[in-house]
Formats: sequence, structure tokens, C-alpha cells
Amino acid sequence: MTSLSFFWISILVSVVGALASLLVRNSDSTAIRAASGVGIVASAAGLVAGLTALSGPAAISHLVGPYPFAHFVLRLDPLAGLMISVISLLSLVAWIYGLAYMREYEGRGVGGMGFFMHIFIASMMLVVAADNAFWFLIFFEMMSLASYFLVIFDQNDEAVSAGFLYFFVAHAGSVLIMAAFFLMANAAGSFDFAAFRETSLSPTTASIVFVLGFLGFGAKAGMIPLHIWLPRAHPAAPSHASALMSGVMIKIGIFGIIKVGLDLLGGQELLWWGVVVLAFGAVSSVLGVIYALAEHDIKKLLAYHSVENIGIILLGVGVGMIGIATDNPTLAVLGLMAGLYHLLNHAVFKGLLFLGAGSVIYRTHTKDMEAMGGLAKTMPWTALSFLIGALAISAIPPLNGFVSEWYTYQALFAGALEGSFLVRFATPIAAVMLALTGALAVMCFVKAYGVIFSGPARSEKARHATEAPHSMVAGMAVLAIACVLLGLLAPVVAPIMGNIASATLGVPAVMLADGGTLMPGEGATTVLSTPLIAVLLIALAMLPLVIHGIYARMRADRRRTEAAWATGYLPDVHMALTAKSFAQPIRMFFAPLYAVRKTVASVWACLTRGYERFVCFARRNEPWADTGFVNPIANSVGVAGRRLQVIQSGDFRIYCLYIVGALVALLIVAAS
Amino acid sequence: MPTLSHFLLAVVQALALFAVAPLISGLSRFERAKMHTRRGPSIFQDYRDIYKLLRRQDLAPSEAGRVFQFMPVIMLGALMVIATGLPMLTRFTPIPAVGDLITIVYLFALVRFFFSLSGLDSGSSFAGIGASRELTMGVLVEPIMLLALFVAALVAGSTNLGQIGIAISSGTVHSAAATLLAAGAFAFALYIELGKLPYDMAEAEQELQEGPLTEYSGPSLALVKWGLALKQTLVVGWFIGVFLPFGSATEMSFFGLIGGLIAFVVKLFVIFGVIAVIENSVARARFRLAPQHSWLGVGAASLAFVFYLVGL
Repeated sequence: MTSLSFFWISILVSVVGALASLLVRNSDSTAIRAASGVGIVASAAGLVAGLTALSGPAAISHLVGPYPFAHFVLRLDPLAGLMISVISLLSLVAWIYGLAYMREYEGRGVGGMGFFMHIFIASMMLVVAADNAFWFLIFFEMMSLASYFLVIFDQNDEAVSAGFLYFFVAHAGSVLIMAAFFLMANAAGSFDFAAFRETSLSPTTASIVFVLGFLGFGAKAGMIPLHIWLPRAHPAAPSHASALMSGVMIKIGIFGIIKVGLDLLGGQELLWWGVVVLAFGAVSSVLGVIYALAEHDIKKLLAYHSVENIGIILLGVGVGMIGIATDNPTLAVLGLMAGLYHLLNHAVFKGLLFLGAGSVIYRTHTKDMEAMGGLAKTMPWTALSFLIGALAISAIPPLNGFVSEWYTYQALFAGALEGSFLVRFATPIAAVMLALTGALAVMCFVKAYGVIFSGPARSEKARHATEAPHSMVAGMAVLAIACVLLGLLAPVVAPIMGNIASATLGVPAVMLADGGTLMPGEGATTVLSTPLIAVLLIALAMLPLVIHGIYARMRADRRRTEAAWATGYLPDVHMALTAKSFAQPIRMFFAPLYAVRKTVASVWACLTRGYERFVCFARRNEPWADTGFVNPIANSVGVAGRRLQVIQSGDFRIYCLYIVGALVALLIVAAS
Repeated sequence: MPTLSHFLLAVVQALALFAVAPLISGLSRFERAKMHTRRGPSIFQDYRDIYKLLRRQDLAPSEAGRVFQFMPVIMLGALMVIATGLPMLTRFTPIPAVGDLITIVYLFALVRFFFSLSGLDSGSSFAGIGASRELTMGVLVEPIMLLALFVAALVAGSTNLGQIGIAISSGTVHSAAATLLAAGAFAFALYIELGKLPYDMAEAEQELQEGPLTEYSGPSLALVKWGLALKQTLVVGWFIGVFLPFGSATEMSFFGLIGGLIAFVVKLFVIFGVIAVIENSVARARFRLAPQHSWLGVGAASLAFVFYLVGL
């Protein structure tokens, strides 16, 4: 069985699942079980397909499509394999989690939710596998539409308005992507990506195609300043759908940027493309995390962190482009590999964090962190998983986020050592931005974990919360273990990522690991070993434990006091530190950057207002065609009909006369 | 790959630093007392404090969680991992797989993460504000640190701390001005990281920035105090290893290591002397002024970068 057959199994099972959850929609619990059960099978098949495709070579399948101009071609190359693995892993976990979580939505059409989830996942898989521009766009639209329906699932004002914004930006993006593909199709004479790859465009056309594709896919990825939909749409969707949207769907945007910039336009890169990508990446990462810090809505906070991580991934991709443009394959592989590794890692830990947030919301029924607090005692497993996710996203060694950021730094460093002045100037600045991002991310996740899980319970619901249901804990546990393994097994994972990068770029592989150590290329002077760090960490932490234990017999047992010291006053819940006051110093020090957001938001508000005015105008003028054109005709038809009624008297003899008359008339016509 | 002797050296180095850390913090206290012309405690006072605290009962607020309980152990463990990676007695990093500048910066972030989270986890709002401030200082310091080290790494052609030290000591760096400025910026960033006046007072527990410790007591407090002393020693050792590697052993030999040890102790002593002078001649700066001061560091590091670019 090849990767393609597993791929088809997964797609077909998803379609079956979609139909099944619609068919049994009248019984909520059956619908949940049908959707999730079938979904688990589909994702498992998808995971096999993705993992098989990772090692390459590309499996291509030509199928007969209904349209002669657009061949239905699927291509499972290592890059598509990585994307399919990520999609399948996350959807597998989302389905397991959904078994219990979807009960929250009982009575509100969970059958529909299952349907859209299945369509959403299947269309994402098809997007990454499609090797024809026309079909790519079809599936891309399907993906956007299905996720739109998940965003507006709650049907409240916020969800509908967020959904509208999402719809608007997604389609603005699609139009740009379409334009980019049409330009390429125009030059290639076909919609096949295979033809795109072989066509070489003039530098100007190539640049236009790249910029259109970059902005179009960038809107999907949620990079700043096209991110505005993301912090509103992702929180509105149900949590397991947010995990998929934030963990996977925005990666389709990155995939598109890689596809257009490094695959379809492969070898035609200009240096400034990479620098532009780097600049967008740096800005997105810093601003994303700064805005996240100011949030006290847990899901919005996580959504802003997606903006940040998209920025970090773009840093890697940008270095990859610079490497190709400057004819430095090692640098290109290193950069792209760092980006892809972070893409995988972000999918895992962001999925985990969204699921953790979902569990907390499931129990406390609020997204406001200020109304949580103290949940580590009542929800210990959720707290532990969330802590692992928080450590991973803050790039704390030896977890997975650190490994990919280390490679990103190494790629930036390698870029800074050689190349033109522009590159030597841009890459260290990007590295400093990454450092700033890292420090801010630590602060943000200390805040998130601290305010949600530590301290006193800040509301009645938080006080009486209980651990999430088993299937939700299981879903989180899978991803938490993945976070640890992707970090500790980096010496195994990094070469795989390197092979995907070199296969995508069509350049020789780069040595990224030797035994248990990681290195940025052969002959590198610096190495890293996450397994060794983990071993040392555990071994050396034994010493303080032993010291602590030696004197245990000399002292009284550990005791809990009444409450924390509150400068002599009686402690009160209102004294507890809030999310807002925690981030207050940063809001003060970085005030100008928050002002930027206001400006960007107001620009978008202007656009939305303009659009609304346009809709109003259209609505006002819509009847014009009716009153001026359709209605007169309809009226005159009515009048004519009434006039003609006289010939329909009801006397059958007259009707016979008509038949005879018609026969005579026809005979005359035939004769002449 | 590190050989067994490198590995042993790393572990011995970490354990030795762990053992002498309270002595070094005791020395700081002793020096300050002398500058204030008071007799002050003995330089072994910190050992006595730790010993005393280890035998006291461990109290925790009712709302404190697991992070609060385990932070002292995690903090000390992570700091000792850092100690295995820094080039101190030798010019090369004992374990190269830990001695990358990015790894070290992020291992310090691991310490910071748990250190401040323990403040929030204690349930005390006072400790929470301390955590917030500690992290804010991290945000201000880390970019300076990274840019300065990045410039030094570019000059040396490697991000391995030992390689940077080797390049600087052998004089193969091709832009001296950039290296000097980077050293200055790095020293400034590390000084803030030390938690000394004018940015902090590590000894004063009611001081906000060390506020995460408010609720610690008994053996936990002993371990955290030990950890803070170790952190200060490591931060200074980091500077010595990268920018002042002169005198350290260039290869693994007994006399080389002895020479390296003597050189390291002398440098540590001198630097702590300088720190004591600075610390005792300034007043506490308002917290809100910290970002304005940190611009100085950013400026110096950026200037170093510009110098590197033009090759000065």
C-alpha cells in the first residue's frame, strides 16, 4: 500500500464521516460518536499516508477530472507528507478530545459541527496534496468555507461579526492567490503545478507572482498586518476547531508561501524576497507576543501567540529563500528546515494549549482568565499538560520549541556570516527580535499559567471545577508527550526535517545530527544535545533534592499556613494579581507598539465600514434592476396572459378547431 | 563529542561552583560591610544561614501549588546544567552540547520561568508583582545580551562560547572595537541580571524584584538562596569565559587546569570587587527608569553591531 492509497482511504472515510454525522444529526450523542469515531479512523489513515510520504520520492497520481483544462493531479512529496502528518496528528487528537468536548454543544447541532469538521480536515489534506492550481483553489475555498461555519457556530454577535471579518480577509487572500496562479498559468499554458515548475518567468513577473502569493497566503497565515481576523476568529470557534485552525490551518498559509516562493518559482528567487519574508517574520513575532501579553481572554492570548509563531516560522523560511537566492544550499536547507521544524512544533504545542484552554473553559464556562485561578488543584492533569505546552512555546530547553528556535538562530547566524551587506545587516536584527520575542513569550506564559492555574480561585465556577473528562485529558496527553519527544528525539527528527527541506529545494542534504547531538551543517563549530541536557537536568537536580532530604529528620513536616502574607491585612480574592496588572510594566514600556495596533485596527475598521457602506449601497440599488427591467416585463407578461385568456373558453369544439387550424398552418409552412 | 575527562571536568566544575557559591555571596556581604565601615558578618555567614534554614520547618501558603514546591530544585538543577557548559577553568566548553550561547540564554530563561512562576503559584499578590518585575527585567536584558553575544559570535565565527573565548584570547577577531563594545554591553546586561543596586537588592527580601521569594521558608528558602548565589557566580563566570578568557587552560592537563583555576579565582575576585564598588556608590533606581537605562545597553550593543558591519 502506498501513501496515496492511505491518503484516499483517509479522504473517503472523512467524507463518509461528514455524511454520517449529518444523517444521525437528530440524536446528538450518536452524532458525536459517529463523527469522532469515523474521524479517528480517517486521521489514523492520514497519519500513515503522511509518514509514508515523508521519505519521498513524490508519489503522483493523475485522475480524470470533470474539466479538460484542469487535470486532477495529486502529488505526495515529502513536504506534503509533513503537512498531512501534521494535519492528521492534530485532527486525530481533536477527534479524541471532541468525544467529550462536543457534548458542550449538545442541542445546538453537533451533527453540523461534525460535518464541517470532516469537510474542513479533508479539504486541508487535499489542498496540500493538489498539484493543479485550479483544484488547489477549489480545496482552498472549501477549507475557508468549512472553517467559516465553525467560526460562526456559536451564532452570537461576536462570532458572526468575527466570522464576517474572517470571510472577508480569507477571500481577499484567495483573490491574490488566484491572481498569482493565473499569472503563472498564463506563462506556463497550463494549470498544472508541474508546468509551473518548468516555466521560468521574467524577474518582474516572478516578483509580482511572489508578492501576490506572499500576501495572499500571508493573510491565511495571519502575519502582521494581515492578522486582524485571527485573534477574533480563532477564539470564536469551538476549542478543538480552534486547535485545528491555529495549529494547522494557518500553516497552510506558510505551506503556500513555501510552495510559491521555493517550489513553483524554485530557482528564480531574488534576494529581496527572502529579506521581505524575514522582515514580516520579525515584525509578526514581536508584535504578536506583545499584543498577546495584553490579553486576558485565554483564547485570544493563544491566537496572538499564533501570530508570533507564524513570524518565527517565517524567519526560517526567509533564510531559506535567501540561501537559494545567494546560491548557498546549506543555508537554504538550514533555514527552511528550521521553519518546517517550528511549523511542526507549533502545531503540536499550540494544539495542546488550545485544548487545555478548551478544558478549562469546559469547566468554568468563561474565556476570561480573571475569572479562573487555582485550577491546578482541581484539574491537575490539565494543568500539567498546559505547563508542558507553555514551556514548549516559551522555547525552554530541552523541549521541542527550543530545538526549532535554536535552528532558527543558527540559520540566522549562518546568514549573518556570509552574503551581501543587506543579509548581514538583516539577519542579526531578526535574531535580536527573536530574543525579545522569547523573553516576552516567557512572561506571557508565566502569566497565563499563573493566572489560570495558580493562586486563589477567582470565581465560584473556578472553585468547584473538576478535572476534564478522560477523552479530553487523553487528547492533551498525546500532544504533551509529543512536545517532550519532539524535543528529546530531536537528533532523529532534525535529519528528517532536513531531508524534507532539501527535497523541496532540490539540493543535497545537509548533516544536521550526529549520534545524539544536533549541529547546523557539517563541520559546524557548535552543537546541541537535548537528550544530554535532559539527563544532566535530572541528574543534577538530584543534588538539591538530596540536600533537602538529609535534614528532613531534623525538622518538622511541611505544613500549610492559612494564607499568603498580605502586608498584615486579611487576604482577599480581590488582592490576587490579575492578568492585566501582571502585564502592566510591559504595557507601559511598549506603549508605542500598542498604539500601532490601534492604527492598524482603525485602518481595518475603515475597510470594513467601507465594505458595509458598499453593501448598503448595493442593497439600496439592488431593486433597480427589478423595478426598471424585470418588473415591467413580468407585468406585461401578466397583462398579455390575461388578454390571451379569451381564447381558452373551455369549449372543446373550439379547441378542436385550434388543432385543425394549427395543422393547416403547419402544412402550408411545410409545403412552401 | 566530549570525552569522559571533559565530562568529568564539567561535573566537577558544576559541583565546585555549587559548593563555593555561598562563599562568594558571603564575600559580597563582607565587602559591602567593609565599605560601610562596619564589621559585618563573616564570609561564611551564608553557609550558616543555609544550614540554619535547612533545619527549619517548611511552610507553604494554603494556595501554593506544585510549582511553588519544586521550583528550588528545578532552579538549582538548571543552574548546575549551565555550570557544566560555561568555559571557566578551560578555554573550551567542557560539554560543547550545552555551551552554545543560545542554549545558555534559554537555560537562564528556564530558571526565570520557574522562578517567577513560583511567585504567582504561591498565591501571594506581592510575590506576583515581584514575578512580573523579574520577567520585565528579563525582557529588557535578554535582547541586549543576545545582540552583544551575537556580535561577538560573528566576530569569532561560531556561537559556541568556548570558540568565542578562543578567538578573543588569540586576537584573531577582525574588529576589535566591536568586540570591546559588545563586551561592555554584555557586562551591562549581566550587571542587571545580577540583581544588584541600582536595579535590585537581592538581599532585601521585601524588595519587589526578588519578590517571588516572599512566601518561601525553611529548606526551600535555603535552596533558593543558594540558587541565587550560584546564579550570581555563574553570571560573572559567563562574562569571564567569553570576554576575559586569559589565563585559562587551553587543553586538558593537570597544571593547565590548576593555572586556569587560579586565574579564574583572581578574575572572579576582581570582578566582584568592582561590582561591590558600583553597588555601594549608587542609590536604588526607580523601576520605571529601568527601560531608559536599558536603552544604553541596546545602544552599545547596536553600536558594536554597526562597528562589526563596517569592520572596525
